[in-house]
Amino acid sequence: MADEKSGAAAGAATVPAAVAGAAAAAGGTVVEGRPEPSFEWMGLTNQWGVRVKPGEHGLRLGDLNVGIYGEVPEVWDDQTRRPRGALPRPGIPPLPYNLRAKHQMWADCAADLYEEAIQRRWIPATDVPWATLQPLPEAVERALCQVCTEIMQYANTEIEIITYWQDQMSYGYYEVKQYLAAATFDCARHIEVLRKRALANGGGLGLESKGAVNRMILESRGGWTESVVYLYLLRGTFVMQLLRNLLSSAHNDAERVIWSHMIEDHARHLTYGYDHLKYAVTHQEGEASVLQTLLTIGEAMMGAELKDGVLRSAMAIILGGGLEGGRTVGMESYLHLVGDYLRDYLALCDWLGVPRADQLNPSLSKYLEY
Amino acid sequence: MMQVFPSHAWFQAVREVYNGDASLHSGGGGACDTTAGLKVGDDGYLMVFEGLECADIRPAGEDEMSEADFIIEMPLALWKEMVANVQENGKADLDHTLNSIDLQQEESIAYSPADDQYRQDLFYRYNQNFQDFFDASSRVETIFDQA
Amino acid sequence: MSEAPVTEQEYELDTSWMSTMGEWGMRAEPGKRGLTLEDIRIGSYGELPDISDNMSGHPRGAAQRPDAYRVGGYGVRTLAEIWLDNATFLYEEALQRQWSSATDIPWETVEPLPDEVEEAECLLCTFFNEVEFVAGDVPARWIAQTTPDYLEPRHVLLAQVMDEARHMDVFRKRALANGGGLMRMSGATSGFVGSIDLARDFTEMSTRLHISGEGAVLTMFRMGELFGQNEAEKRMYRLCAQDEARHVAFGVMHLRYLNEACPERREEIHAYLDEAEAQIMAGLQNPAGTQAETSEALAILLGGSKSQYDEGHKKLLVIRRRQLKEYMQRVKTAGFGDRFENGRSTIPAQHAAAY
Repeated sequence: MADEKSGAAAGAATVPAAVAGAAAAAGGTVVEGRPEPSFEWMGLTNQWGVRVKPGEHGLRLGDLNVGIYGEVPEVWDDQTRRPRGALPRPGIPPLPYNLRAKHQMWADCAADLYEEAIQRRWIPATDVPWATLQPLPEAVERALCQVCTEIMQYANTEIEIITYWQDQMSYGYYEVKQYLAAATFDCARHIEVLRKRALANGGGLGLESKGAVNRMILESRGGWTESVVYLYLLRGTFVMQLLRNLLSSAHNDAERVIWSHMIEDHARHLTYGYDHLKYAVTHQEGEASVLQTLLTIGEAMMGAELKDGVLRSAMAIILGGGLEGGRTVGMESYLHLVGDYLRDYLALCDWLGVPRADQLNPSLSKYLEY
Repeated sequence: MMQVFPSHAWFQAVREVYNGDASLHSGGGGACDTTAGLKVGDDGYLMVFEGLECADIRPAGEDEMSEADFIIEMPLALWKEMVANVQENGKADLDHTLNSIDLQQEESIAYSPADDQYRQDLFYRYNQNFQDFFDASSRVETIFDQA
Repeated sequence: MSEAPVTEQEYELDTSWMSTMGEWGMRAEPGKRGLTLEDIRIGSYGELPDISDNMSGHPRGAAQRPDAYRVGGYGVRTLAEIWLDNATFLYEEALQRQWSSATDIPWETVEPLPDEVEEAECLLCTFFNEVEFVAGDVPARWIAQTTPDYLEPRHVLLAQVMDEARHMDVFRKRALANGGGLMRMSGATSGFVGSIDLARDFTEMSTRLHISGEGAVLTMFRMGELFGQNEAEKRMYRLCAQDEARHVAFGVMHLRYLNEACPERREEIHAYLDEAEAQIMAGLQNPAGTQAETSEALAILLGGSKSQYDEGHKKLLVIRRRQLKEYMQRVKTAGFGDRFENGRSTIPAQHAAAY
């Protein structure tokens, strides 16, 4: 088959037909009927003869990384929509794919997580046994609805920041883009199911989040990695503790299905996030220092947000089984939840090579005693 | 028990097979909601899908058919050819899927009686369900109306 | 999670928020389709603001805090510019009808093909891979700019982004599954004036993407079942067509809503349709158009070989007729069919000439 060089040479003679179309729109002549085929595209390929076979789990995205199609460059200079491995075409105007380095978004697990997300999809409308919802004590129902509202807003933030960056990510790393498409779909599902839960059992939505950390996430403009630090390392690790504790306090099968599915989805999000951060730190000089700076700022925000009485009280009521329990064992459990979050967070930071134990913001370190 | 195609009894038999075995609902199908008309020779049938089930299939006159989201209409001989192909192969072969048959004709076999392309597009949106339904007819012993 | 120690300590509990929540006493009931997004549009939670002033990104219906940070700045903040009446229905349908390219396509049925046929198929797959990049990226960008007050259409777009990711992946898989490879990119999806991703208004984008672009691609996917050489290809194209039809439905129904809600924008929408018809329907982005190298590939596939090119081209003309007819029908359904009657559009002439 023709090599890239000859393909590029042939392509150099070609004016993209879209330009011709524009000329037609401006009143130029369009010739109908059967144009004489040139077949000049035949033989233009980087690598032919690829035959990927399905494995025991079918034909998965990661299976396609053979030969040149599996070469994931450290930098992808192409600002067009050229599929990785396809031949380029001269004269194509660039698009604003501003994230073009592997360390800016990569995670080795992205392709696998994408396929896993598809295999483990669920449908809130029909997979949640809504009929098992039973009236709860007023305070507990209010608390649950409040927590649903809060987590809904977190999911909304996740959608907004991912979709903000998504179309800036180049197609050299399409596995990541595809995985993030699945992640935002998960978030849509979460918003949907939490809204349904809040409106299905005699309750309603709660008070909106004050949004300090939401804003910090949405204002992270330094790059996708910065967003991942705040979205997944700092806040996502906390959300996982919330979800796990909500599952352990579930009142009925409907809630058990909701929380357990959300945990699965969220675990994938965190896996991507942590894996990406590890890649960034190990492949970009100075990235660890950048993360230190970001986390110094972020921890202060997270500490301020955790001081807010609304979420903490609502969780305490849920974990304590009511107002009275909320004031004692519930709040104690919530504080312990925050302690567990921080222990996980610090362990992750160590693993990433961004140790924080000695520098943890005091507004957070106080929770370590729980 | 043998069923004659085309007949209400035949369609009912297929419906029972289709609804009774979830393995016949292939990946890419899923819940759908639509009312389709089938014009098979001189006969008309209304086919109602609700969720994962074919909820109903019954003979229908012109008035009822005009309420359908879309109608699938083919010459009787082509209907018979498609069903015979499914009988022979266990499911439609490459040339006898609904879409393939549709695209082999000059004009589409599916149209909206209300001239509403949104409703006609339901034939495309739910195509796998209809294909699964007709593939399920392989389990219904069929003889053909000689008319 | 570690064990929480037992304690008798009593903590202060802030319960002031309990009296400042959203409308209370909601009891949405699941129906025949389970508990759908439509079922929870009850009370004030079902009320849609004509203009959204949600600047903090809160869920619609949540009680607001006076000290909440403004994170919004959403560009899409009016109902008319994004709404469609069946958004909840399309979203739930999307959830129900997801599929896996890894396991729902019978890849084992793919068998070696003559080189020229394999090349044609791979060129088409390379093209579709590229085209779906646009269809994934562009809705994503608009989601970020849309107020969460209109969560229903937002959710449909999120499902579309997922669908497009799946399409990208299935075409790449096909290109690499049968002794072929990716071919040369088309360049059809690049950014230049009038292209989908440079639209500065949501309806403009949707007109170009959903009605023109995806409408054309829908016909292509359906054609895939005609020229598909094995069960894997037929199913791949059929399932992609199902998804695509849902995206087209979004476009048609949104345009219909806008036409009813904002008749003063009709002339503007006609201008977008003028552009889309001249570019997307005619140009590189449309393999069934007259100027695309992918149309050569299609003709080979439809004819079965290079030597049957003429036969394949005749079938391609039939495809183009269908494509043009269905496009006209969709635009008519959306309420803009006058353009085909008053001579504004050249599509009727193109349709007639395709015989």
